[in-house]
Amino acid sequence: MRRIAMIVYLAGAAAALAQAPTKETPPAPGTPKNFSLPEIRRFDLPNGMRVRLMQYGNTPKATIRLVTQTGNIDEDADHVWLANVTGEMMQQGTPTRSAEEIARQVALMGGSLNVDVGMNETAIETDVFTETTAAAVGLIADVARNPGFPEPALARIRNDFLRKLSIERGSPQSLTEETIMRLFYPNQPYGRSFPTAEMLQGYTLDQVRGFYDRNFGAARSRMYVVGRFDEAAIERAIRRGFAGWKAGSPPAAPVVRPVSRPGVYLIDRPGAVQSTLLIGLPVAGIGPNSPDYRPLMVANAVLGGTFMSRITWNLREKNGYAYSPISYVAVRPRGAYWVEDADVTTNMTGASIKEIIGEIDRLRAEAPSEAELRGIQHFLAGQFVLFNSSRGGIAGKLASLDTYGVGEDYLRNYVQSIYAVTPADVLRLMQTYIDPAKLAIVVAGDRKAIEEQLKPFGTIAE
Amino acid sequence: MKRTIVSTIAAVLCAACAMTAPQQAAATAPATLSLPVEYHTLANGLRVVLCADHDSPRVTTSLYYGIGYRVEPENRTGFAHLFEHLMSQGSRNLGKMEHIKLVQSNGGFVNMSTQSDFTTYGDVAPSNVLRTILWAEADRMKGLDVTEANLTIQKGVVSNEVRVNVLNRPYGGFPWLDVPQVANVNWHNAHNFYGDLADIDAATLEDAHNFFKTYYAPNNASLAIVGDFDPAQAMAWVNEYFGAIPSRPQPPKADISEPRQEQEKRGSKTDDRVTRPAMAIAYHAPRAETDAYYALALINQILAAGKDSWLYEDIVRKRGLTGEIQGTMYFYGSMFDNNGPSLYTIDLFHDPDQSSDQILKAIDENIDRLRTQTVDAATLARARVKMRAAFYDDLERNYGFGRANLLAGFALFYDDPARINRIEPRFAAVTPELIRETAEEYLRPANRTIFTVVPTTRGVK
Repeated sequence: MRRIAMIVYLAGAAAALAQAPTKETPPAPGTPKNFSLPEIRRFDLPNGMRVRLMQYGNTPKATIRLVTQTGNIDEDADHVWLANVTGEMMQQGTPTRSAEEIARQVALMGGSLNVDVGMNETAIETDVFTETTAAAVGLIADVARNPGFPEPALARIRNDFLRKLSIERGSPQSLTEETIMRLFYPNQPYGRSFPTAEMLQGYTLDQVRGFYDRNFGAARSRMYVVGRFDEAAIERAIRRGFAGWKAGSPPAAPVVRPVSRPGVYLIDRPGAVQSTLLIGLPVAGIGPNSPDYRPLMVANAVLGGTFMSRITWNLREKNGYAYSPISYVAVRPRGAYWVEDADVTTNMTGASIKEIIGEIDRLRAEAPSEAELRGIQHFLAGQFVLFNSSRGGIAGKLASLDTYGVGEDYLRNYVQSIYAVTPADVLRLMQTYIDPAKLAIVVAGDRKAIEEQLKPFGTIAE
Repeated sequence: MKRTIVSTIAAVLCAACAMTAPQQAAATAPATLSLPVEYHTLANGLRVVLCADHDSPRVTTSLYYGIGYRVEPENRTGFAHLFEHLMSQGSRNLGKMEHIKLVQSNGGFVNMSTQSDFTTYGDVAPSNVLRTILWAEADRMKGLDVTEANLTIQKGVVSNEVRVNVLNRPYGGFPWLDVPQVANVNWHNAHNFYGDLADIDAATLEDAHNFFKTYYAPNNASLAIVGDFDPAQAMAWVNEYFGAIPSRPQPPKADISEPRQEQEKRGSKTDDRVTRPAMAIAYHAPRAETDAYYALALINQILAAGKDSWLYEDIVRKRGLTGEIQGTMYFYGSMFDNNGPSLYTIDLFHDPDQSSDQILKAIDENIDRLRTQTVDAATLARARVKMRAAFYDDLERNYGFGRANLLAGFALFYDDPARINRIEPRFAAVTPELIRETAEEYLRPANRTIFTVVPTTRGVK
C-alpha cells in the first residue's frame, strides 16, 4: 500500500520537474466534520446554587470549578485587592483541615487547588483523576464554606501581595493597562488595577472576614464539572457538600460607566528600548448577549486580532516594527473595550501609531473583500472547535454562558453566526464602534526619544 | 524560545486514545498509558509517528528538525531562532507568510519554537485539513525562498522579540536565559541563545541558505501526527509529499558535553527597574535517558512542585521568605524535550531585607534531608501521583502539541517513539535509595550555580 503510493508520487514529481517553474497550489481540505457539544446536565440546589455537569473526553480526569459572583468589583476605592487577599486567606485551612493538609490531599488526587480572584468572579478550581472527583468536590465545598482565616497567615500574605505589586508595577504592559483602565473607568472598580502599599499593609482579619461574609454564598455560586466522572456519585457529593451552605446576600449592582478619553498619555521609562503601546476605546454594551458582539469579533479579527490580520501584517511583516502586535475586544459585563496592544521599536513609535490608525481608517472606508472575510471566518470557526476541545476550555465556556445569561444555543449557533457576517457588517461595525477620534493612545517608553514622535497625535498628558 | 506564549495557553483534551477511563474503580490501580503508536521511516530517512484518536475533530502535527540553538554557528548567536522565522518567509510554492495564512484560513494555527536540541514547526487544525498541512510542511522542507528585504524585516521582528521578552522587561531573561550562560562551560550550552542584537543584525542570506541546506533535511527530522485521522491515508500523503525529498549527509555531531562541576559558581546582574531581588539555584542534571533523570523529576515533585512540596511548606508558609517557589527540569517545554546537558533550576523572588545566602541556607536544610535520608513511603507515593498527573498534563497540553512533541522528540532523539508508553513504569521503578543517591550526587553544592538579580536604587516603587 505504502510502496504503491511512493511510486505514484515519484511519477508525479518527475512530471513536475519537466514543466519547471509553475507553482503548485495546495491540495484543498476535505469536508469539515460537525462540531457537536456533549449534553449538559443542569440542576439547582434549594439554596440557589446552580450545577452543570458534562461528560467530556476520554482522559480519566475531571475539572471542577466553583464560580462565585464576586471579585474586585465588590471592593471600594480604599480596599483594592481586598478580594485577592481574601481569596488567598481562604486557602489557609478550615476547622477540619490545615492548609498543609488541603495541599497534600489535593496533590494525592492528581491536582492542585487554586482560588482564582477576578474582576467579576472568583473561581475555586482543580483538575483531578476520575476516581477522586467526589472527594475533590468535598474538599472544594470545605474551602468555600468553612475558611478558618488563621490570623498568623495574614501578615505573610499581605507581604506576598506587596512583593507581587512591586514586581507587577515594573512591567511596562502592566503600566499601560493600569492607565487605560483608569481612563476608561474613572472612580469605578474596573478602573482600579493596583492598591497602594499602605492599603495592603492595613488589611485586617475583620476586613477579610467581612468581605467573605458579604460576598460568598450559594445563591451567587455555580458549580461546573467537566470530564470523565461517575455522575450519580458526583451529584451526591455536590448535594452533601453544598446543600447546607447559606444562600448569602445577592450581588450589589456593579458600577460600570465607561467613558472614552481621546488623547495621548505617556508613561516615561527612561532608557526603554521599546515603546509599549495600548491604543483603544470603550465599546460598552458589547458582550455575548449583544447582537453586535460576534460581528465585532469578526471585524476585530480582520483588523488586528489574528496573525494574518491587517495591523499585525503591517507592523510585523511589512515593517518589522514589532514582534506580536495584537488587537482584541476585552469583554467584561457592561464594560467591554477594544484595544491594539503592541511593543514597537523606539524610533518607530510615531510611525507605528500612524500605521495602526491608518489601518483603522482603511477598514472604516471600505469593506473587506469576500475572500479576506472568508479566510477570517474559517479561522474563527476553526478556533472555536479547537478551543473547545479541552475540559478547561469547555468549563470556562459554560461558565461564561452563565456570566452573560446566554443559553447553550449560543455555542450551538456560534459557527453559523460567524459565517453570517457580511463585508458590509464589518464596515458598519467599524464605523459604529472603532472611531479613531475617540482613541486613547497610551505609551510607556523613553520620553526623550519619543516625545517629538507623539506630537502629531495630540497634546501629551501624563 | 516562546516560553511565555506556550505556557499561557490553557490545557487541552486529547491525550487519551486507548487510555481507559476507570469510571468507578476507586480501589483498583490506575490504568497505565497505552497509546497506539505507529512508526515508519521513509527511504530518505524521515521518521514518521502516527497516533490517532477520535476524541474531537482535530489534528495536530509536529515536525522536529534536529537543529537547536546549542549547535548554531559560533559567530551567529540567535541564528537558529532567526532562521525559524525565515521558514515562514517563503518556500518552493508558498510566498512570504502564506504557510501561516493557509493554515489559519482553514481554521487552524501554527506553533513554531526553537529549543536547545531541535526546532519545531507545528500545525493544528480541524481534521479535514491534514492533507493541506502535510503538503505545506513538505513544501518548506523542499526549498527556502527568502529575499534580502524579507531577511531585513525579520531581523527587525526578532530584535523586537528579544526586546519585549528580555531587554525591555523587568527581570528579563531571568532565569532561563541568564543561568545557562553562567552554569555551563561549553560554548554550545553557555552562549546567549536568543542572540546578541549585533549578531542577529549580521546574519546574511548566504548563512540562511547554508543552514537550510545543512540541517533541514528529511534524515535530520521527525514528523508526528496526532488526533483524528486515518493512519493509512495519512501515511499515503506523507509518502506523496515528503517521499522524494533527497536526504543529505549530516555534519558530525558537535561535542556538547559539560564536565562534572567541582566548585559552586556565582553570577548576578543588576536591574534598575525592579525593587525585589530574585535568585535561582541551578544544578547540572543527569542526562535525560538515565534512571537518575527520572529520580530527579520525582525529587522536584517532593522538593519544589506545588503547595504540598517541602520548600513551599518551609520557605513560603513557615518562614514567609517568598510567595512562591518553583523547580524546573527544562525551561522551554516538557522534561522530555531535552537531549543534552541540562540544568535543574529552583527560582524565587524575595524581599531586600533577606539576603540570598540566608534563603539559600533555608533551602539547603531541605535539600540536605534528601541527600542524607531516604524519603518515607507516603512522600514518595504522593510524588508519584503528582508526577503521573504532570505527565498527563504534558500529553494533553496545547491542542495536541504536547503529545505530538513527545512523540516527535522520542523519534528524533532515540528512534523510539513508543517510549511514550514506557514513561510511567520508569517513574514507578525509582526507589527511595535512588532518590537519595541522585540527590547526593546532583544536588551537591559544588554542582550548582547561584544566580541573583540585584535591584538598584532607582527602580519603580
